[in-house]
Amino acid sequence: MNNKIDISVDFAGIRLANPVFTASGTCGYTNELADFMDVNNLGGFITKSITLKPKKGNATPRIVETNSGMLNAIGLANIGLDEFIKEKLPILENLTPAVFVNIAGQTIDEYVAVAERLAAEKAIAGFELNISCPNVSKGGITLGTDPVQVAEVTSAVKKGAGRKFLIVKLSPAVTDISVIARAAVEAGADALSLINTFTAMVIDIETGKPVLANRTGGLSGPAIKPIAVYLVNKVYNEVAKNSQIPILGLGGIRTASDAIEFIIAGASAVGIGTANLVEPSCAVKIIEGIKKYCTDKKIANIKELTGTLK
Amino acid sequence: MTENCSSPNKGIFSATICANKQIRQGFYRLKLKFSGAAAQSFAKARPGQFAELDISGIALPESKAIPEELTDISERKILLRRPFSFCDVTSKDNKTTVEILYCVVGPASLRMTTLSAGDSLNVIGPLGNGFSITKNKKTALFVAGGMGVGPLLYLAKIITNDYPDTIVTALVGAKTKEELPFKGRLDEIAQQLGFSLPEFAMYSIESSVATDDGSVGYKGFVTDFLAEWLGQNDLEPQDTIIYSCGPKAMLAKIADIAQEKKIDCQVCTEQMMACGIGLCQSCAVECKVSNSNETIYKLCCKDGPVFDSREVIFRI
Repeated sequence: MNNKIDISVDFAGIRLANPVFTASGTCGYTNELADFMDVNNLGGFITKSITLKPKKGNATPRIVETNSGMLNAIGLANIGLDEFIKEKLPILENLTPAVFVNIAGQTIDEYVAVAERLAAEKAIAGFELNISCPNVSKGGITLGTDPVQVAEVTSAVKKGAGRKFLIVKLSPAVTDISVIARAAVEAGADALSLINTFTAMVIDIETGKPVLANRTGGLSGPAIKPIAVYLVNKVYNEVAKNSQIPILGLGGIRTASDAIEFIIAGASAVGIGTANLVEPSCAVKIIEGIKKYCTDKKIANIKELTGTLK
Repeated sequence: MTENCSSPNKGIFSATICANKQIRQGFYRLKLKFSGAAAQSFAKARPGQFAELDISGIALPESKAIPEELTDISERKILLRRPFSFCDVTSKDNKTTVEILYCVVGPASLRMTTLSAGDSLNVIGPLGNGFSITKNKKTALFVAGGMGVGPLLYLAKIITNDYPDTIVTALVGAKTKEELPFKGRLDEIAQQLGFSLPEFAMYSIESSVATDDGSVGYKGFVTDFLAEWLGQNDLEPQDTIIYSCGPKAMLAKIADIAQEKKIDCQVCTEQMMACGIGLCQSCAVECKVSNSNETIYKLCCKDGPVFDSREVIFRI
C-alpha cells in the first residue's frame, strides 16, 4: 500500500524523492549525520552557512536551553569557501538528495562571490541565501529586514549563481513577512524558506547578565512551531500561491505530524532543524510518518496536500 | 607511543537501567546496561569519552523531594540531551555496563534521580576523544575537581590494568567535604593512617583530598595542593604526566603548573553542548594555532573533550 503513495516533490523544477530537508546549521556537511542515518533517504540537504572567508564564530556560551526550545549564537562559524570546496564538496558529490549550500556574508559582494565560485559545481542543486541570521553584527538579519536590500542581494546572487536554484531564507523578525517574501520573489528567488530563528535572550538572575556570550541568540525548537506554521500560511496565501513559488517550511518540526501541519499551511517541503541535534536520525521517522499519513488519508500524491488549509 | 583514544562505533542505542544509587546527598551513580551492537561499542569506550542521554521523557521527583533551590528551574521542560562521561565500564558475556557519576544541579539531573532499575534510556555514544595513555611515563598524577573525578576513576581502572608499572597518585578537590562525590564518612576515612579514597584504593592508587574550607584533607585549592605536592616529590618531568578533569579555572591553573614544570598534561574540558556530535558547533574550545598568534575554536564534542593542556586557551 505504502509503495503506491507518491511523496516525491517537484520543488520548482527540482525533483525531490520526498519533501524532507535537514536545515542549515543543524546537519553539518552530511558526514557528521552519516554516522546515524543514511543521508540518501533525505529529500534535500542544506549545508551549514558558508562565508567567503573562514569565520571563527562567537565566544562561549553559544547555546542555552529554554522551555521547549533553545537559543543559539554560533556566529556563523564555518571553514570558509576554499576549505569547503576542498574538503566538503567531494563528500556532497555522490549524494541522492538535492544539496543546497547556505550562503552568508557581510556585504552583497561576499554573497555573490560565493555563489559565483560554486555556480558550476555539479554536486550542488542550488543555494539558500541566509539573510536572516540574528547572531552576526553585519549582514544577516539587518539585510533581511529591509525589502530594498533583500531585492538587491537576491537579484545579485541570482545573476552570479548562473543556472543554480535560489532559495531565500526569511526572518520572522519583521512587521510583515509577506513584504520581504514578495521582494525576494520579484527579484528572482526560485523558492522561499521560512522561518529562521527569533532573536531572543536568557538572563542569569544570579549575575544579572545574559547567559550567552553574544548576549542574544536565535530561538528555535518546538517553542516557535505555531508561529512558523502561521507565517508559512500567511506567505503562502499572500505571495507564494499566486506566484507559484514553493515554500520550504521550518521551525520546530520534530514529528511527521508537525511536518504535515506545515504542508497543509502551504509548504511544499519541510526542514528539520533543532530536532536533528536531539535525534540525529529523526528525518527518517518523519519521512515514514508522512508516508503513513498519506496512506491513511488516501492522498495519492503529497503535493495534493500543500496549502489545503480549510 | 599513545593508544587510540576514540572509538569508531558510535550510535543511537537503548540502555537498561541496572541501578541509580544515591552515594551522598545530591550525588548519584547511575548504572546502564547495553546489549548487542551497543555492548560492543561501549565495551571500547575510553576514559574521557562521553554519552548523550535523552532525559526529556523522564518524570520529576515528587515535589517534596525537589530541593528548594531547584523548585523554579524544575518547571523547565527538557529538550536537549545531556552529556556525561563514564566512571566505569565493564564488559562481560556480550553485555556492557557503563557507570555515570552525576550530581543534581538542574532540571535534567533532577529528573535523572527518578530513574530506576528496569527503565530504559536512549543514549548516543560513545562520543569524543578520551585521554591518550602515554606508555613511557613512570608517574601519572590525576587531578580532579568535584565531579571531574568521574572519568579519572575509569582512567584509574584502565591504567592500572594496562600499565601496572605506572605509579598513579590521585588528588581530588572540592569546595567542602559534602561536595566530594564519594561514599562514606570522609572525615572518618581521613583519620585513618594513609588517607586514601576507597574508590581509588580498589585500584591500589594512593589518593588525597583538598577542600576549599578545610573540612577534610588539605585546606585550599587542589591546584595549590598539586604545586606543593610537586615541590615535595622529586620527579623527572619527562617521566611524569598529569591527567586532569574539573572546572575551567582549575584546568587553567594546572596547565600553568604543568608548563612551568615541563610536565605533559591532558585536560578533560567541559562546555555547554547540544548535540555532542559536531552538528551544532556550540561547544567551542579556544585553541592555539602553532607558530601563530591566531586562535581557533575546536569542538569539545569532536576534537575533545580531552586536549593537551598546551593547546587550550583558558580565558578565566
